[in-house]
Amino acid sequence: MSHRRLGTDGIAPYLFLGPLLLLLGAFILYPVVMNLMSSFTDWKGYGAQKWIGLANYREMLQDGSFWTSIQNTVILVAYIPVSTIVTIFVAALLREGLRGWKAYRAILFIPNLLGPVVIGLIFSIYLRADGALNLLLKSITGSTVGFLTSTTAAINSVGIIQVVWVHLGFGLIYFLAAMNGIEPEIYEAALIDGAGFWQTMVRVTVPSIRFAVEFWVVFSFIEVFARMFSFIYTLTQGGPGFGTFTLEYGIFAQGFQKFRAGYSGAWSMVLFLFCAAISVAQIRLMRRRGV
Amino acid sequence: MKRVSSIDLFNRVLAQLLLILLVIASLLPLYNVVIASFKSSHAFALSSPFLPPASFSGENYVYAALHGHLLKFAINSLILVPSGLVVYIVVCLCAGYAFGKMRFGAKRPLFLLVLFLMIFPQLLLATEVFRLIAFMHLTDSGLGVILTWVAYFSPFGTYIMTTYFSDMPYDLVEAARLDGASQLRTLVSIMAPLAMPMIATIAIIGFQAMWNELPFSMLILQSQTSRTLTLGIAMLGGEYGLSVPAMSAALIIAMIVPLAMFLVFQRRVTLGVTAGAVKG
Repeated sequence: MSHRRLGTDGIAPYLFLGPLLLLLGAFILYPVVMNLMSSFTDWKGYGAQKWIGLANYREMLQDGSFWTSIQNTVILVAYIPVSTIVTIFVAALLREGLRGWKAYRAILFIPNLLGPVVIGLIFSIYLRADGALNLLLKSITGSTVGFLTSTTAAINSVGIIQVVWVHLGFGLIYFLAAMNGIEPEIYEAALIDGAGFWQTMVRVTVPSIRFAVEFWVVFSFIEVFARMFSFIYTLTQGGPGFGTFTLEYGIFAQGFQKFRAGYSGAWSMVLFLFCAAISVAQIRLMRRRGV
Repeated sequence: MKRVSSIDLFNRVLAQLLLILLVIASLLPLYNVVIASFKSSHAFALSSPFLPPASFSGENYVYAALHGHLLKFAINSLILVPSGLVVYIVVCLCAGYAFGKMRFGAKRPLFLLVLFLMIFPQLLLATEVFRLIAFMHLTDSGLGVILTWVAYFSPFGTYIMTTYFSDMPYDLVEAARLDGASQLRTLVSIMAPLAMPMIATIAIIGFQAMWNELPFSMLILQSQTSRTLTLGIAMLGGEYGLSVPAMSAALIIAMIVPLAMFLVFQRRVTLGVTAGAVKG
């Protein structure tokens, strides 16, 4: 933003911002504040509500499904470094100018285009007990995996598909663009020094795209905490049991399936705190970038 | 791209093999959906999911489009998403111009607020958005969904437009203003045309976001006839207990528009990925 100190443009800027601020106020700011309020009530999502103090929070801390959601979220977070390393590795490979690198980049981007609902439904078929992947596994190894029927396997399926695989194509475009900005001379120097692929990647490429890596990690945290619902809803509906419950899914289940809006408000405040922290981290990065 | 390569021929072959494996693993689920969609239920039950059907059948597509109402849902999406997109572009363009090129006291705190509100998940807002929509009598209406989508997705579009406008030379605005043009006129006839590439980029980003949106549409569009395509297919399995071939045909129908968009606007979609984070 340009920070000229030559007077101001009067009320015109506020008129230009009017529609945005009105919408943000009504659909984002107001709901967050109201969530906080209703988290202290026994509101069902309709009808009357009674103030019950911290009862919802107390209940939440003793609710097994809450801790399962946290645990599942931790598992998904653990896939962030995996996704980061895999994506940078494949991007570094493509950067070497392998034949067909553009085609690889385009094909691997397809999962991003299809959106979480289509991807979730595709895998709900593909990963079934009698689905294509299990047929393949059975013919090779003789045994099958309960991708969607075992709680451990299900949450890891979510991590591998939605945290690592879906974003791979997105990350390739993103990291290749960042790597494109690195001076070729640095690579020439590394080559003369006898650096191989791994050394070049770790010592030259990664340090040169540090900013992009940091953005990527923040982006991945946003995906894990705030963009998982549609995929989980279509893949497993949070199951088996609470196997793929996350905070988002818990809010949905409590608020819209069990009609306990007040109680889901308590879950919402926990998710809000996580998201607020991620948001602040993102803003700090953006500001360092000079926005 | 000109490349200084640090890997030798042997490893290049190895890398190619690895990438081909990755591509096969990535396309296999999609391939299964494609071939299942052309099989009759009978043929699907008897044949391997990896082998194409002996005879291609279009019955699943007819069934999904008509019996599964996908045709109706697709029309809904093709009305709602472009309408939402127009409002979204106007909102982001105006706000981006104000943040990028206008001077006012509360600029910094307001811009930080917009950035802060960018990432909150739909479910965090859903209960109250639902109440608000009901209060405005917009339940089950296209307008309700459009307003919610625009509110939810415009912080990111605004951020991108702001960075774009703030990088443009200030002289452009000053010259127009000295000629007596109003702020609105400056935006519409000078700045907006110059920002066309970035407007196209946020249009693609907004399109994908709205096209694929589930939670808000699920809460607001309650009657079956008003569903979007994304919402429609998300509800299909549960309501009808569709067979795998019919579900596969439904999924293919749902993929057509996003894939066509990618084929037509591939370069712009690619730019959209980098617009958010890496400037320039």
